[in-house]
Amino acid sequence: MTLESVARKDFRDALRSRWLLGLTLFFSLIIGGSTALFYGVLLKGAGANSETLFGLTTAPGGLFSFSYAGMLGFILALIALVTAHGSLIDERESGTMKLLLSLPNSRRDVVFGKLVGRTLVVLISMLVGFVIALFAMLLTGGQVMFASYAGQVALSGLLATAFVSIGIWLSATSESQRQALFSTVGLYFIFAVLWSTVVTGVPRILNWAIEQLPGVEPMAGEQVALMQMFIKYLNPLRAYETLVAQLYGPAAAARLFKAGLGESLVLQPILQESIPFYLSGPFILAVLLGWIVIPPLLGYWTFTRVDL
Amino acid sequence: MAAIELHGVTKRFEDDRGVLGTLGLSSDTDSVTAVDNLSFSVEEGEVFGFLGPNGAGKSTTINMLLDFVRPTSGSVRVLGHDAQAESVAVRRRTGVLPEGYDVYDRLTGREHVEFAIESKEADDDPDELLSRVGLDPDDAERRAGGYSKGMAQRLALAMALAGSPDLLILDEPSSGLDPAGAREMREIVRAEADRGATVFFSSHVLGQVEAVCDRVGIMREGELIAEDSIESLRDRLEAEAILRLDVEGDADLSAVRALDGVSSVESSDGRLVVACTDDAKTRVIEAVESNGATVADFETDSASLEDIFLAYTEDEKQEVTA
Repeated sequence: MTLESVARKDFRDALRSRWLLGLTLFFSLIIGGSTALFYGVLLKGAGANSETLFGLTTAPGGLFSFSYAGMLGFILALIALVTAHGSLIDERESGTMKLLLSLPNSRRDVVFGKLVGRTLVVLISMLVGFVIALFAMLLTGGQVMFASYAGQVALSGLLATAFVSIGIWLSATSESQRQALFSTVGLYFIFAVLWSTVVTGVPRILNWAIEQLPGVEPMAGEQVALMQMFIKYLNPLRAYETLVAQLYGPAAAARLFKAGLGESLVLQPILQESIPFYLSGPFILAVLLGWIVIPPLLGYWTFTRVDL
Repeated sequence: MAAIELHGVTKRFEDDRGVLGTLGLSSDTDSVTAVDNLSFSVEEGEVFGFLGPNGAGKSTTINMLLDFVRPTSGSVRVLGHDAQAESVAVRRRTGVLPEGYDVYDRLTGREHVEFAIESKEADDDPDELLSRVGLDPDDAERRAGGYSKGMAQRLALAMALAGSPDLLILDEPSSGLDPAGAREMREIVRAEADRGATVFFSSHVLGQVEAVCDRVGIMREGELIAEDSIESLRDRLEAEAILRLDVEGDADLSAVRALDGVSSVESSDGRLVVACTDDAKTRVIEAVESNGATVADFETDSASLEDIFLAYTEDEKQEVTA
């Protein structure tokens, strides 16, 4: 199967360029190192459990929340994008794509082979980091909650894969390396920084549009808040964070994690009663899986139509 | 059955000036017709030379055979398969030396060939292929990033030969090779043809083609302007003469071009080079004299194949110098 040989060649290239080695060292330091520092130095072997770092941290009164997962999500997404955004366009610009497609490889083999190769590179290096973190906790006398820790590793893998997928998509649809770089940076900026503007902006625009229609009532405060939360978790970074939070606590609390005071006041009673399906854990997991499946399909769709 | 069949193939490249063009803000949309209503076929077992100056549409045609670019209209069939819908089936039985390719910097030469063998599900010995194209075993173990153009060309040829393909498509195979390398390349083409493979290769240098080709096609400005066997090109050439004239004053060349039996007229610094049939020579001199110039001196030659090639592609050259 040639998809496999494309993937294997791509992975071997990552080995040769020491990219895999570099990423492995990076994640060992970031995940393993920070965990060792936290449990070994900060807590001085006081025997805390893995939730202390990996779970959610919310100061009393909800004034301040921090999650290690959230921070890790930003890093994983960035690394995955950096790894994947050049995968196809680099080969198109240099001309190695012509060599690749002179052989009986289909464009489908090329897009999905690259996806597999680059995903493996990110996943393997990330896993090494998590394994080192596990040993760091065990060695410093920390108690590891294996089920939630495994769940968190799995979710991190899904997030990384989603961003490799997004990177492949951008690489497949770009006409130049520069365009791929700019669209990647732009998209990351939207997901990581501008998303709260999208979250508040979309319902506001919708309501404005509704107000222009005669005889239709605009959405009430509750509906707006629910819609905002729905949009918030369409972002793979936010979806990941709330799914990780759900590993350590009830779903309602996980959805309201990092929510503003006003938002919490409106939504808490609703979510306590029952969580709408579009804010449920399975649905948000499906969103995250959607980010893995849909972007490469879109990228493939474009890539099969271009002139090299 | 024909190994390659093109029917009415046209390729236009739309160059829409980026964002402005997309938004319709720029009316400056260039459309370049690289290949214009091209039809020809190459029979199985034939060695076909695809000639023409740079920019004539040779590579675009080859890229359509390989599904690197898609025709705007027309149909392309290779080895009985639709070149676009069944491209993988085509490439499974085709060895390709593409134009404008690059090798993988971090893979060794040997790994490139192994990758080609693996992709074609063949069982060739990589070392045998490498030695056939004359790539030194020491070089084959080095990363291809440090290869010269000639070494890369040999490597790409080794990849093309993997799996004993039924069809070889070679785009400017001699570029980057020294004369000895170009000769080895021709020997390999001959050997592949003797094995029964169809060979389709392009060149802008006639000399590389005439020694090995059964038939040639000459492209100019996206059209096939001649398609013939080397023998009949030679026959035509025997009837053809080259007339060199030193003239004083400016002659009206269009009148000379319009004469029966004149196939090309080139002029530079008071010297005219006219390709024409033997019996047209006197008419040419008369026409030059009666159109505002005096002939100071003249000499005649019989034409070489190279002259014919240049004659066919002459208009292109004039546009370049203009």
